[in-house]
Amino acid sequence: MKLLTHNFLSSHVKGVGPRGFPLRLQASEVRIMPVEFNPDFVARMIPKVEWAALVEAANTLSLGEVPTEPIQGYEQNEDFLRTMHHILLEVEVMEGTLQCPESGRVFPITRGIPNMLLSDEQTEA
Amino acid sequence: MSDIQEATNQLLDVNLHENQRSIQMTESGPGSESEHLQVTIGATVPTGFEQTAADEVREKLRSSCKISKDRGKIYFDISVESLAQVHCLRSVDNLFVVVQEFKDYQFKETKEEVLKDFEELAGKLSWSDPLKVWKINTNFKKKKTKHKKINQNSSKEKIDNGQGDKRDEKDVKKEFTNNALDSHILDYYEKPAIKEEISTLVGDDLASCKDETDESSKEETSPEVLKFRVTCNRAGEKHCFSSNEAARDFGGAVQDYFKWKADMTNFDVEVLLNIHNNEIIVGIALTEESLHRRNITHFGPTTLRSTLAYGMLRLCAPQPTDIIVDPMCGTGAIPIEDSSISPVHHPSFYLTVECLGKRKSCEALCSWMRGATEWANCFHIAGDNNPLAVNRAANNISSLLTKSQTKGKLSCGLPIDAIQWDICNLPLRTGSVDIIVTDMPFGKRMGSKKRNWNLYPACLWEMSRVCRPRTGRAALLTQDKKCFTKALSGMGHVWQKVHTVWVNIGGLHAAVYLLKRTPQAFVHPSEQDGGRTPW
Repeated sequence: MKLLTHNFLSSHVKGVGPRGFPLRLQASEVRIMPVEFNPDFVARMIPKVEWAALVEAANTLSLGEVPTEPIQGYEQNEDFLRTMHHILLEVEVMEGTLQCPESGRVFPITRGIPNMLLSDEQTEA
Repeated sequence: MSDIQEATNQLLDVNLHENQRSIQMTESGPGSESEHLQVTIGATVPTGFEQTAADEVREKLRSSCKISKDRGKIYFDISVESLAQVHCLRSVDNLFVVVQEFKDYQFKETKEEVLKDFEELAGKLSWSDPLKVWKINTNFKKKKTKHKKINQNSSKEKIDNGQGDKRDEKDVKKEFTNNALDSHILDYYEKPAIKEEISTLVGDDLASCKDETDESSKEETSPEVLKFRVTCNRAGEKHCFSSNEAARDFGGAVQDYFKWKADMTNFDVEVLLNIHNNEIIVGIALTEESLHRRNITHFGPTTLRSTLAYGMLRLCAPQPTDIIVDPMCGTGAIPIEDSSISPVHHPSFYLTVECLGKRKSCEALCSWMRGATEWANCFHIAGDNNPLAVNRAANNISSLLTKSQTKGKLSCGLPIDAIQWDICNLPLRTGSVDIIVTDMPFGKRMGSKKRNWNLYPACLWEMSRVCRPRTGRAALLTQDKKCFTKALSGMGHVWQKVHTVWVNIGGLHAAVYLLKRTPQAFVHPSEQDGGRTPW
């Protein structure tokens, strides 16, 4: 699971609503997977990202210094874009958990895949 | 153009010219002629998506298309050099080269006369150019099979799977094995180039491809007895003959003319006789029906479902950095064919999504991957609720990571993030998604149509929540049109129906609804009355 993905995930436990974001990330295994750098893509994604959640997740994974706000003029700042590219796209959480901040419900991440199914849901095979 | 693409194109040109040289040796035709050969190609597309396919052709081949009245077919002219690019088209199912088109064929009165005409027709057509194209095409396929086999063998060794072979559809349905898919998906990631089909010509075994060309040219110098069959599709009310009769008599004449052997199952050349009212098209197939030819390379776009998925996504006109959620479900475990899997090396990726209970098919996974290549500046998300499918994705991901790391090369990031979730309860932020493409549960395999009455509104509601107001859009495929329409009727404040495409694939009467998300923001039910379903 990439951090960009994590940024879009929100808890869907009943009654939780928008308080279910962001999911608290805990990782026991992380891998780095190189991805071709596309500065334009990163620059355009930055406004779509919930920054505070990203910072929190990056800090949990000890990914180094992430500014609390996107740098002024980030579109031209290649170093900054490369850093963000790495954090958003190249860090893969292989094993860990996502926790709903409101209800405490824990969703496991196994082999890179978070399982967000709620156990009381009917799932037909 | 990226370095990789440039290199690919150059290599492709090399191969193409080699092919042409080998053909010239055998036919001793004028050398320069074949290089500038213009042909008319016909392509079958899911009915209803003729226009989107035509758009793709215009965009990628810069040719305009003629859309046939015989639904589900488009025609366009290309030069033979572009043949490889034709195989990269994603909205088409099957390709054929047109031998002759009769816009207004005059059928005689009696069956005997009509069939006699067909017999005589065989000898009157100009076969040589279309056959040249067929030969070039066959050479592509041979290289592709060889490359694929090499990849399968190498991936077999590395991941220690027992199986590299494709399996019967039935087997896969029952077992849902990881093996075939693993090697296929791994092959996928092996390919360095952007375009799936072109990429198979590039690679470590380019040298052996060249050998292959020499071999095949040797074959062609000796008189070859090709095996063939004639497939006739007939539509129209005023015909006094059946498609079988036409195929039989036309085929008989073809056999006499070329001295080929007729073989219904194991053929080299498939001659197509398409009759639609007064329009007749004679063609030679360039692709094979994937369902029937497992063990033979299927070169080009594969299953109907993936072409449909592509068409649906195209309908939504993805823009750069759009967030695309495509939970395109598979309807069964149709094994992935190598050729259908595109290498993705742009930073877009997938989580796989599936509607309740539907078995995830890897083909859907791959169609998303293709989508990612196509719209590389978008971010693709999909999800899956089926643990089998999710497991498979996990296997692939970890095998891939291991493989690429042992190879030590800087390979591309993984485009797959598999998430297990339920479409009616998406763990996504409100208003975060730009495009949704999905296959609504049909209510046949998984319970009752009655269930759809609750399911559909729930899905639509949830999708309206995650979809971005005003600019968001959705392309939804469903067979249960009645239920869908009813569910939609209660949601005019969030969804606006823009367009409906009636789809008919192999008897499946379904519809694709293109919806636009209204500007109205989603009001979270928990803020209303604490419950989650407001209806």
